[in-house]
Amino acid sequence: MTGWLAHLVVVPILLPLVASALMLSMDERRRTAKRVLSLGVSALLVGVAALLLWSVRESGPVAYRIGDWPSPFAITLVADRLSTMMLLLTSILGFTSLFYATARWDRSGPRFHALFLLLLMGINGAFLTGDIFNLFVFFEVLLAASYGLILHGSGTERTSASLHYIAINIAASLLFLVGVALLYSVNGTLNMADLAVSLSSAAEENLALLEAGAAILGVAFLVKAGIWPLCFWLPRTYAAASPPVAAVFAIMTKVGIYIILRLSFLLFGKDSGGAAGFANDALLYAGLATMVFGIVGILAARHLTRIAGHYVLVSSGILLSAIGIGGEALTAALLFYLVSSTLAVSALYLLIEPVERHADEADIIEGISEPVFDDEYVGAIEEEETEEGVVIPGTIAILGGGFIFCALLLAGLPPLSGFIAKFALIDALFRHVTIALSHWALIALIILSGLATTIAMTRAGIDRLWTPGEDSPARLSLVEVTPIGLLLTVCLTLMLAAGPVMDFMQATAGALHDPGSYIEAAGPATEGGGVR
Amino acid sequence: MEVVLSLAIGILTASGLWLLFRPRTFQVILGLSLLSYAVNLFIMAAGRLRTDAPPIVGKGTADPAAYADPVPQALVLTAIVISFATTALLLVVLMASRGLTGTDHVDGEDGEA
Amino acid sequence: MNDPRYLLAVVSLPFLGSIIAAALPQAGRNWASALAGTIALAGVGLLATFYPAIAGGEIVRLEAAWLPSLGLQFTLRLDGFTWLFALLVLSMGALVILYARYYMSPKDPVPRFFAFLQAFMGAMLGIVLSGNLIQLAFFWELTSLFSFLLIGYWHHNQAARDGARMALIVTSLGGVCMLIGFLLLGRITGSYDVDTVLAAGSTIRAHGAYLPVLILILLGAFTKSAQVPFHFWLPHAMAAPTPVSAYLHSATMVKAGIFLLILLWPVLSGTESWYLIVTTAGLATLLVGAWSAIFQQDLKGLLAYSTISHLGLITLLLGLGSPLAAVAAIFHTLNHATFKASLFMAAGIIDHETGTRDLRRLSGLARFMPITATLAMVAAAAMAGVPLLNGFLSKEMFLAEALEAHSGTILDAALPILATLASAFSVFYSIRFIHQAFFGPPPVDLPHSPHEAPHWMRFPIEILVLACLLVGILPGLTIGPLLAHAVGAVLGEHAPAYSLAVWHGFNPPLLMSLIALVGGALAYGRYGARLNAVERSPLIGRLKARRTFEAALAAIIEWARALQDLLGTTKLQVQLRLLIGTAVLVGTLPFLFLGYRPGSQPVALIDPVFALLWIIGCLCAVGAAWQAKFHRLVALSLIGGAGLATCISFIWLSAPDLGLTQLLVEIITLVLLLLGLRWLPLRQPDIWPEARTPWSVHLRRSRDLLLAVSGGIGMAALSYAMMTRPSAPSISRFFVENAYPGGGGANVVNVILVDFRGFDTLGEITVLAIVALTVFTLLRRFRPAPESVELPHQQQRQNDFDRDDEERSHGDTLAHYLLVPRIIMQWLFPVILTFAIYLLMRGHDLPGGGFAGGVTASIAILLLYMAGGTRWVEAHLDIRPLRWISFGLLLAVGTGIAAWIGGYPFLTSHFGYLSIPLIGDIPIASALLFDIGVFAVVVGTTVLILIALAHQSIRSPLKRKVVAGTQPSPAEGTA
Repeated sequence: MTGWLAHLVVVPILLPLVASALMLSMDERRRTAKRVLSLGVSALLVGVAALLLWSVRESGPVAYRIGDWPSPFAITLVADRLSTMMLLLTSILGFTSLFYATARWDRSGPRFHALFLLLLMGINGAFLTGDIFNLFVFFEVLLAASYGLILHGSGTERTSASLHYIAINIAASLLFLVGVALLYSVNGTLNMADLAVSLSSAAEENLALLEAGAAILGVAFLVKAGIWPLCFWLPRTYAAASPPVAAVFAIMTKVGIYIILRLSFLLFGKDSGGAAGFANDALLYAGLATMVFGIVGILAARHLTRIAGHYVLVSSGILLSAIGIGGEALTAALLFYLVSSTLAVSALYLLIEPVERHADEADIIEGISEPVFDDEYVGAIEEEETEEGVVIPGTIAILGGGFIFCALLLAGLPPLSGFIAKFALIDALFRHVTIALSHWALIALIILSGLATTIAMTRAGIDRLWTPGEDSPARLSLVEVTPIGLLLTVCLTLMLAAGPVMDFMQATAGALHDPGSYIEAAGPATEGGGVR
Repeated sequence: MEVVLSLAIGILTASGLWLLFRPRTFQVILGLSLLSYAVNLFIMAAGRLRTDAPPIVGKGTADPAAYADPVPQALVLTAIVISFATTALLLVVLMASRGLTGTDHVDGEDGEA
Repeated sequence: MNDPRYLLAVVSLPFLGSIIAAALPQAGRNWASALAGTIALAGVGLLATFYPAIAGGEIVRLEAAWLPSLGLQFTLRLDGFTWLFALLVLSMGALVILYARYYMSPKDPVPRFFAFLQAFMGAMLGIVLSGNLIQLAFFWELTSLFSFLLIGYWHHNQAARDGARMALIVTSLGGVCMLIGFLLLGRITGSYDVDTVLAAGSTIRAHGAYLPVLILILLGAFTKSAQVPFHFWLPHAMAAPTPVSAYLHSATMVKAGIFLLILLWPVLSGTESWYLIVTTAGLATLLVGAWSAIFQQDLKGLLAYSTISHLGLITLLLGLGSPLAAVAAIFHTLNHATFKASLFMAAGIIDHETGTRDLRRLSGLARFMPITATLAMVAAAAMAGVPLLNGFLSKEMFLAEALEAHSGTILDAALPILATLASAFSVFYSIRFIHQAFFGPPPVDLPHSPHEAPHWMRFPIEILVLACLLVGILPGLTIGPLLAHAVGAVLGEHAPAYSLAVWHGFNPPLLMSLIALVGGALAYGRYGARLNAVERSPLIGRLKARRTFEAALAAIIEWARALQDLLGTTKLQVQLRLLIGTAVLVGTLPFLFLGYRPGSQPVALIDPVFALLWIIGCLCAVGAAWQAKFHRLVALSLIGGAGLATCISFIWLSAPDLGLTQLLVEIITLVLLLLGLRWLPLRQPDIWPEARTPWSVHLRRSRDLLLAVSGGIGMAALSYAMMTRPSAPSISRFFVENAYPGGGGANVVNVILVDFRGFDTLGEITVLAIVALTVFTLLRRFRPAPESVELPHQQQRQNDFDRDDEERSHGDTLAHYLLVPRIIMQWLFPVILTFAIYLLMRGHDLPGGGFAGGVTASIAILLLYMAGGTRWVEAHLDIRPLRWISFGLLLAVGTGIAAWIGGYPFLTSHFGYLSIPLIGDIPIASALLFDIGVFAVVVGTTVLILIALAHQSIRSPLKRKVVAGTQPSPAEGTA
């Protein structure tokens, strides 16, 4: 990329920033202007991300050195397959959620669009930056924005949920700083690629300090990723947030996952000490525990939002334990799963509100409903039951369709990409020469999670959409349906184009496992590790 | 010096953590600010200790050995600002939750103190 | 002509039709049914074109890349067997569609029904024609999904909802197990391609993973085709409209399991475990089904259980493992489909025309609907295995196979007897079906008066019954060749010699079926009358599989709820403890493994003053921790003390910028906290039920203390280890060297902030902006708690004094009270402001910079507020914080983007010096503009937050509580 295109890398960060800065100076009453602006920007972001993705697929990782200083001194932005893929995912979610929000949500509080765009800026920055302290800054940006967005629309539940969320994340940020300080004190650098170089040549007596630093850093990320037992804030916070906000939050846990992927391969790749192995096992087992907790939560959920929130945990668990197991095939599969599950959860969050809106506030029906048939047909006459279909209002039909597709995606059932993702994951696990017990555990949990989702979603869906109630069918605006449809269409495309997509993922996984090109692009300009 | 500073960091952390675990929002916020002192000092420490060598160079090329490490200072500055911002936010949120829930307990309802 | 692509059409047309039907208007029943029928017939036609090919024993294949890297090819595959099965699915589909057209009520929005039905048909064809196991699983799950929708079609009925849900959960569970089985198969054979797998039979059977594979795949098949103990979902699926039952439970859904068993029969069968598992399951299902069928009072219930038993029969045959048994299985699959479908349709007609399906109420319908009666009788006879009907032939084969010894286990002896018994049962319930429904006295008080069904509704039954007869009388001419191709395709060279003749001479099987026929008839004659009184079938009626299932689900949910409380928490304190605990743990582990070693660097001497400073600092910290609960103000000032110690040590450790900034931030934070403090409730000491604090509290506190102390020790140890190590070669070297030449500033820290790492600062001011926004939006809606709305005591007294004294107006005392400080503060305002600007300008070379300047400026404004009070200030100067923020951000970004013009990356700085008289050289660097941006944002943010907070106190208190005589007075902003 040359000429003006060279600056494209920084655009996903600057564009939303400028747009929201402009909006700040606008009067609160100029809603349409703001809507047009923010929707335009988020649509533009999709285009930019796609362009970046395409270009790095063609020509490998691209580094952008802020302020034109040489690496590793400059803050370096790196666009490679992984980061651009995440960018694209983010921008898609951003666009759909924002679109949905224009139905009415952006009016339930001031300055929604500005905060939303700033959140996108933070997420994009976190994906792009190749500098560990700059990563901290962007984490703070996206966190601050997320605080604002959760509180959007106010209300007691939102306030007290966000109180927990904020307190926990501030503590996590402090841990982040400690970790960074430790790494810097030993390596004297902040550039990730440079860190990778210097870690490979770290003195033995500094190893413990380094590992402590990395571990504490890891904790900070794992809180974001929502690992058990640091994840209890997540379902509640997401449930408290307004639908479009929750829908875009679907990407937030993936930010943590992304960083862990990036750093674990970069810093503790193939040629690293026993610490890496130890960390991997920890990830694996913690991931399994997270899945268990998520599954339990899905089954125990009384509301759709809680099902969704705990599914987020399940997916984090799957991803983390898959990272822990490692292997290129599995990494590719988990990337595919990451994309698919993120889209699915986002769609579900958008869908929940209309579904719940149409249903009454009661909990999902619990326990045994007294069987109309007994085990056998004996005496089971249904004269009281009309044998005549009820005309389903269009809205319910649409909601039902969307709901079924979301359920299938989450449960990993065909026809959408969920099935492919599940198949790819298990297939990759089977490709290992020896299938360890932990692998079986992961497989079993994947299946159980699917089953739990099926049970919970059928329960919820039947109760919300099939059980006749006197409540009049909801009015559903096109503005709400379109984004859901978009997300599901993307999932459908992922399924149909599974071949090429999976090829891309495999190439990405390969690049992750062999970060040579990344280090070359983003690392010390001069050979032999810059400063030394 | 090193010993003193380490001890200081340790004690700041300990008292900050103690406050962090308290059930009242105000205590939590104080705890967080104590913790941020500790962390800021910790970051400073990452650049090793230097007295009277502020990184303010004369004109012309400077000899790095003569100055304290400026990078941690820059990091701490950013950290200070950010933690100030988040503290302010937390304060307002806890005011709001106090206003809405009627209690200043972190869980919004008065459990055991 | 047989272009493989026609296969694609066969599979995809139904889905296409489904989409179209879904788009049709509610009333378009004729269109929908016509469309569906046409598509089904078109499918039949397309299949027909392949007949020559598969008659020639060739395998038609169509491949397309789907997910090649994982061995998932989209493959369609057609051989003699799958051809026959696909034909079954399609033709039966056509008949059911025709039937449904007349069965479904005109008021029913049938397009949706036909959409589901066609989609189901498509999925079923997908299973049958799949040439790739994963793809097969794909369509397998689709059938589960669409059967769910079909069974739940009348979802306003509780029964339909429950039945649908049960079917879905059971079958999809099986489906997942099957998928795992397939994946293992793929791992053994290295491919998911059906033909490859079929070729690798011996390898698979010899492989160590054979048994798991077998069990997993059998789980899939058994759940789908309702084998004991998974049979319980099928009767409840009867809640579906009858056409659905006729389709799902004769030719398709349940036969998918059978199909899978037959497809993989060459690969998996022929082992001990296969024989034992499959035979036992089949036998159990056969008997359980037949036995319970006898006692059903509902026509569809009877048919449901007889379906179960016939599925069991087929499974049993497959389990036996002999080629002849396989032939019998394939043959009976077809026969059962024909007669069972027709019987379901007949039952549907009865239900439709009489309004009930209850055998106890039905009687003597033959005289009202003679044709239907005749048809039903023939079909029932076929089900009972009466000679000259298709059921008889396969039943004969079955009995013959039952006589063969297979394993040398007890089964060999038992099989013939049990087989005869089961046949007798089926004779029994067939007779009951017919006799109860069609004979005897005319029925009384039926919902509708019965009459013959319209001709086109009967037509499908007529076709099917005709098939039963033709196959039964002239098997060789009708089904013979098709069956031969199918058998050839499945068994290959193992295909046995068999004859489809009606008469094999008088042989043991014939004897057995005669016994069955006579025995069944006699038994009905003897007991039939009593059956109407039966409440549930004896012996096994007590096994409430459905209840168990529901109860299990409920229990799972209960456990989950309990477990969730066990594994999770909603309390913030617990979560924070966990977080810190984890951090301490993982931070310690490396040292446990590698040992803790302080560095080699010689430790500098302890400066007593510094030590003293920190003794005080630490005392403040600990004191704050001690006091925070009851004496907030004290704690606050103690915290301030600790903060001050930090400032000083920053300056001490040659970080003047930090010292300055920390000091300013201290001030602002303090003010913020003071403003917030006003809204907190008074803290009463805890009152415990008994006088002294309970142990639990002591325990919790000591645990917290332990954790806090260990955290502190950890940090201390880490920092000591860091500081005592020789400093690593660091990037700071470059910064120091290039600060002046490259960045045009002497203050390296500031150059780093605005130039080298200006991007961080950009992010930082963004955070400030966001927080300001959030605070602003949050406080707009803020309502203080009632009890904290009262004015502070002192101000109340002052205001009372004003009110009592008539020549004083409200707030005077307070105003006078603050007179002197106000004057001073107003004086100070410009001074501080100038200082702020100065800090900003000099920042590049000396301690200061945009942030410090900004905070100072906002302190100036803050002082103004304290002095004049909110109202006065806003009357006199118009502060638009949001504008400031917006301007600052834009300026900062703009400065960065300006570099693009020169073709440089974002934030590339340029600088020169401008000499102004008196002031001297001022560095005019782009960095300065950037710093101004920072300045603006900081001012905007701080002022916005402070104002927002200050405004709270001039808000009107909550509606429900208005404090008497409280006109808010200026100075409350700082109360």
